Amino acid sequence: MRRVSKTSPRSSIYNSNIYGLDTKGIWTCLTCGLCPQECPQQVDFLGFIKEEREGGQPLEIAHLGVFTELAELSSRLDGNIRADPAGSTYGYFPGCVESLGLFLHDVKTDFGAITASSLKLLDRAGIKPQIIQMKCCGHDILWQGKKDVFDRLKDYNTGYIKDSGIDTLITSCAECYRTFSKDYDLGIRVIHISELLDKLGLEINKEVTYHDPCRLGRHMGVYDAPRKALTANGARLKEMEHSKEKALCCGVSSFMNCNEQTKALRIARMDEAQAAGVNTLITTCPKCLAHFNCLKSEKEAIKRYDFDVVDLTVFLARHMEVK
Amino acid sequence: MTENVTEFEPDILAFCCNWCSYAGADLAGVSRFQYPPTVKILRVMCSSRVEPVFILRALKDGADGVLVAGCHIGDCHYIDGNKNAEVRINNTKKALAKLGLDKRLRLEWISASEGARFSEVIRDFTEEIKKLGQNPIKEVKIDE
Repeated sequence: MRRVSKTSPRSSIYNSNIYGLDTKGIWTCLTCGLCPQECPQQVDFLGFIKEEREGGQPLEIAHLGVFTELAELSSRLDGNIRADPAGSTYGYFPGCVESLGLFLHDVKTDFGAITASSLKLLDRAGIKPQIIQMKCCGHDILWQGKKDVFDRLKDYNTGYIKDSGIDTLITSCAECYRTFSKDYDLGIRVIHISELLDKLGLEINKEVTYHDPCRLGRHMGVYDAPRKALTANGARLKEMEHSKEKALCCGVSSFMNCNEQTKALRIARMDEAQAAGVNTLITTCPKCLAHFNCLKSEKEAIKRYDFDVVDLTVFLARHMEVK
Repeated sequence: MTENVTEFEPDILAFCCNWCSYAGADLAGVSRFQYPPTVKILRVMCSSRVEPVFILRALKDGADGVLVAGCHIGDCHYIDGNKNAEVRINNTKKALAKLGLDKRLRLEWISASEGARFSEVIRDFTEEIKKLGQNPIKEVKIDE
């Protein structure tokens, strides 16, 4: 955020509820985790933001809060799908890509392809998971400060996973991965799909660049798995100016703060990808994918950026079909 | 009043577009077509004004059914607003299907001359909602 607006983690701590001043800084933070990375003073800034937001009112939620409403609605209803305990010990959770596809139909991204591709890739890797059809993981709701709704979702989902009898939960979304690993107590192994994809034996022979989603990278420390999944399958990886721990944010997290400042961040990131001179920008988070493609579908940007933004699983599955 | 068990009366929220369906509802009133008093009509300028979030919020706040009514395809005052509405509402329906609420959302085309059709749609939708029972969200209690 410092790149594009006058903001500082220090002042947002000072000004927040502790001193009863201005809480704006709490809500404009993108929770990308770059501040603690750049200034390692052992301050759990993300944890602070998360706690401060509890029970507060977000400044703005993008898309009129449609995903918030959907999650709230589903948190109050009993799920109508039951877990199947007889299935495999691996579970695959597609996340909210389906509703992303339904409500963001003007972004021109096939979100459903992430689920289809992930299953194809898992099949090739020799894993036949049962598909977990539980409610939203609650990531956005949690970061939007609605802890009560998050707790309801968490209770339901924890019960569902216990019933399903799986011991490994695979997600294809960086946010789900973070939430299930850090905010839930599942007591089972949670892995991101990129950690399973390095032995597919594909020969891609293309130059790509990789954008680290904040949830997968700085929050969870997974930097190498997606890179290995690309290089082991033959793709040549070309890093952007900022990568791994120093990766720039895609601009929006948990559907908050979609405004001109964060758009500047997005443009900065897209420009870096353009400067890398490759045809494909890979990411592993559906949200990053949506935000980049949203920017890309704008009139001026079409001329400016001549590369595709695709999800890792979709990219790999596409090359599986060619063979 | 205590002796009679009152029958369940659904609460239906109807978004009617200004140019066709609202006029259709008006005509139904002027022509004295009877329809049950279960519906609350909200005028919007176009059926595509209805965001999915309006529907979700209505259901969350306890509406038993949501009706979105617009001009017939090809008759939209804004040329193709109702086509956009169709995409949106169908997508919302798919999202609601996961929660088992999809039958509580309906999209209808009612033109300004179809007062009789308006009352018929309301009667039909009310019957359907009565069969479904009340919105399950009202039954779930939340411990605050």
